[in-house]
Amino acid sequence: MNRDELQAQCMRVPYFRFIGFEIDEVGEEYVVARLDQAGRHIGNSVIGAFHGGMLASFMEAVASAAVSRNCNIRRPKPVNMTVDFLRPALAGTLFVRAEIVRKGRRIASIEAIASQKDAAKPVARGLFHFLLI
Amino acid sequence: MAAPSAHDPDQALLARIAEIWNARAEGLISHMNLKIEEPRRDSVRIRMPFNPDFTADEEQTLIHGGILTALLDSAFGLANFLAVENVETMATLDLRVEYLRPAAARADVMVEAECYHQTRHVVFNSGRVWLDIPGRPEVARALAAFLVTRGEGMSFLEKLATGGPGA
Repeated sequence: MNRDELQAQCMRVPYFRFIGFEIDEVGEEYVVARLDQAGRHIGNSVIGAFHGGMLASFMEAVASAAVSRNCNIRRPKPVNMTVDFLRPALAGTLFVRAEIVRKGRRIASIEAIASQKDAAKPVARGLFHFLLI
Repeated sequence: MAAPSAHDPDQALLARIAEIWNARAEGLISHMNLKIEEPRRDSVRIRMPFNPDFTADEEQTLIHGGILTALLDSAFGLANFLAVENVETMATLDLRVEYLRPAAARADVMVEAECYHQTRHVVFNSGRVWLDIPGRPEVARALAAFLVTRGEGMSFLEKLATGGPGA
């Protein structure tokens, strides 16, 4: 599945349309996506920061896209997720790179890293488990 | 389970704080259209009406896990706002969500967020999510930790009691 096909598949999910992200890059083991901040993403309007739950669910969406592409599963089943919020995610664009850490017969573990202008200073990282069967 | 809210002496005040929090909500939280049902000192119960934008399937019958995560994070924020004296700023340190089963219904989502322990700098939360359908089991559980800063002087509760909103 190429970038455009994966983007089209993601945009069939109503909640992914609501988030409104765009896939930038796809590889065998990873997916990179971007999210330009709009009003519905905001958690703290004083500093214009992204809502932490929106950030976490964007990361999960990209992780899910990576599983979907690699394992050829249309809607991977999420088991659980943990996200560490490292820095405030401020106004502007968020980038998420989700990479398959391990793919077993039943479970895939995906790591997702979110960053903004400076890739060396991630704003969040998370681990996501999906059931493949 | 905490005592029934009717017996909480500052119930009216807690309800007022919760309504102010909700009325001031912008961005994602305003899209969730939250109804605060049981604000207490150490926990809060919130209803999120069914919204087809928050679904996972083209038929729009399955609520997406991602919006449950966002709902839990928001509910923890309000629970901490009610629970932490003199709270000035709040930042999520980490969040763990367990998806117990698919949220498969066009139903309102209920969340209960508890602040089960707090230290000077860190607040610990647990939460659970279920669909508003009698007899249906929970769909998600979560744990989170928040970093808080506390201001000097009167708490937000005290300010409200003596002054009024924003006093």
